Amino acid sequence: MMKFFAAAVLAAGLQSVAGTAGAAECGDVSIAEMNWASAGIAAHVDGIILEKGYGCNVTLVTGDTVPTFASMNEKGEPDMAPELWVNSVREAMDAAVKEGRLIRAAPILSDGGVEGWWIPKFLADAHPDIRTVEAALTHPELFPAPEDPSKGAVYNCPSGWSCQISTANLFKAVGAKDKGFELIDTGSAAGLDGSIANAFEKKTGWLGYYWAPTAILGKYEMVKLSFGVEHDKAEWDRCTGVADCPDPKVNSYPVAGVFTVVTKAFAEKASVAMDYVKTRKWDNQTVGSVLAWMDENQADNEEAAEHFLKEYPDLWTTWVPADVAAKIKESL
Amino acid sequence: MASGICAALPEIACRFPALDDSLLREARKSVDAAFKTFVRTYGDAIDRATDPLQWLLNNLEKLFVDAPWPLVLLVVAGVVHAVGRDLRITVGAIAALVTIGLLGLWEDTMVTLAMVTVCTAVSVAVGIPLGIALSRSDRLQAAVIPGLDVMQTLPSFVYLIPVVMIFGIGKVPGLIAVVVYAVPPMIRLTNLGIRLVDREVVEAADAFGSSARHRLFDVELPLALPTIMAGVNQTIMMALAMVVVASMIGVGGLGRNVLQAITNQFFTVGFLNGFALVAIAVVFDRASQSYGKRLQRHLEVVHG
Repeated sequence: MMKFFAAAVLAAGLQSVAGTAGAAECGDVSIAEMNWASAGIAAHVDGIILEKGYGCNVTLVTGDTVPTFASMNEKGEPDMAPELWVNSVREAMDAAVKEGRLIRAAPILSDGGVEGWWIPKFLADAHPDIRTVEAALTHPELFPAPEDPSKGAVYNCPSGWSCQISTANLFKAVGAKDKGFELIDTGSAAGLDGSIANAFEKKTGWLGYYWAPTAILGKYEMVKLSFGVEHDKAEWDRCTGVADCPDPKVNSYPVAGVFTVVTKAFAEKASVAMDYVKTRKWDNQTVGSVLAWMDENQADNEEAAEHFLKEYPDLWTTWVPADVAAKIKESL
Repeated sequence: MASGICAALPEIACRFPALDDSLLREARKSVDAAFKTFVRTYGDAIDRATDPLQWLLNNLEKLFVDAPWPLVLLVVAGVVHAVGRDLRITVGAIAALVTIGLLGLWEDTMVTLAMVTVCTAVSVAVGIPLGIALSRSDRLQAAVIPGLDVMQTLPSFVYLIPVVMIFGIGKVPGLIAVVVYAVPPMIRLTNLGIRLVDREVVEAADAFGSSARHRLFDVELPLALPTIMAGVNQTIMMALAMVVVASMIGVGGLGRNVLQAITNQFFTVGFLNGFALVAIAVVFDRASQSYGKRLQRHLEVVHG
């Protein structure tokens, strides 16, 4: 660790002496482009800034939380995950940080990630009494299950994600089964998103797990329901987040820590960019509005990143030194 | 990125003259909007139309899952033996199912088995008549074959999007996705099998004054049977492979376990469930193959 810090300090020192000569040191950097939009845009923003501003040779690698984390942890590739939801890999992450393989650079979402059970806004407007999970569960008829409309449905988080476990436990804790609901396995993020799109197009009710900031929540207005209790971390660690816990209690989702994680190799070879990685963060509202623009214009991650850099210079120019900002602006 | 050659050339030679971004965007938007309007207008009607399919799938799954396992084992062994009449295949099928049960995958396997059974049945029911129609008309064949190419090569994710938008998630959309993927070999091989029937045989049948119907059922189909059975095999294999992908839109069973294993990098879980799928595939394949052989022998005897 000390060695790395020394190297970083030295590199930073060299850079200030040699001006922009540091740019040549950056070399090849691979960035994980996660398969959800906010992380994809972040990957492209980082890609453009590192490439144009710091002279790195950037490649983007498609990824998903657990596989990408495993690859970074075991093989040191890719170099950087701009938006990693660390809750789903918390223990392994802590170990990797402790052993110096990975570096938790900074939170990328200043508000953190928000998880919960949501219903469409049009439904909430029509039924102002439904503001809590408890209230929603008294109306199974409003949330017809896809395979058996006589029952209500709670759409679970995709297979294999850690939220699948917590949602299943909360489903049990609130006694949803006895209230005529079944827990629907959505299979994948595409399946979950599709079920929401399907419900909105047909104007039927939908109740299930989702998280912000996301394009889906930018595109389809939804209201988060309250579980009626505060988040209890001890209970969450004991049971809510544990698979097959026998006696789950009602709990609220924690605000998720969402971090930029880099490998030790990145911190060494791209030390000039580490300051950037450590300061770069945005709030959910900014992400939401970029995602909404992206959706409205059917833009891809790269176009959305360019849109962000063009439209929000007040934000991103504070992340980088003035000379780097000038280079990026020139390239747009 | 910028190369030296391009600096010396006019821009048009280096950058492909793509259509205007905003034009493309408008085009994409209007197609999507049209599709959404379609879903809004016909969504309920489509839901009602697929209700019987939903009912069939729900009940068959319930039947497979709720039935006592010795009974299921007995029925599977009985069916495999009845179609295959081969003791080794029957014993192999029992051994495969017992192993699956011992590994704790019985219920998931039953869910998958129910799904694959319906998918295969639908594919065969759709594929054979279409294949026969194709063998009758060169023009129809020329029109349909490119469609089959698209169905087999279009990345399955691409058609999962409209399928989920129209049908939501669950077994019915899963069935549709699987059938779209698995039916082409059935159609192709039925068509091919009939087209490969010796022309002289067909002419002889005509000379003896057989009707078109007679000729199809008693001459062409029996002679094309080995090829058609190869089509059935292919369809079963592709349905089994696609069931894993269909788990991405909420189809349960072994596919869901595989998907979960992929997301969490559970190497062993992935392989165990994968091999359970392979075991089912082998049972289906061997049984249907020996059935095909037996059927043909039997029919040849009749025709002397």
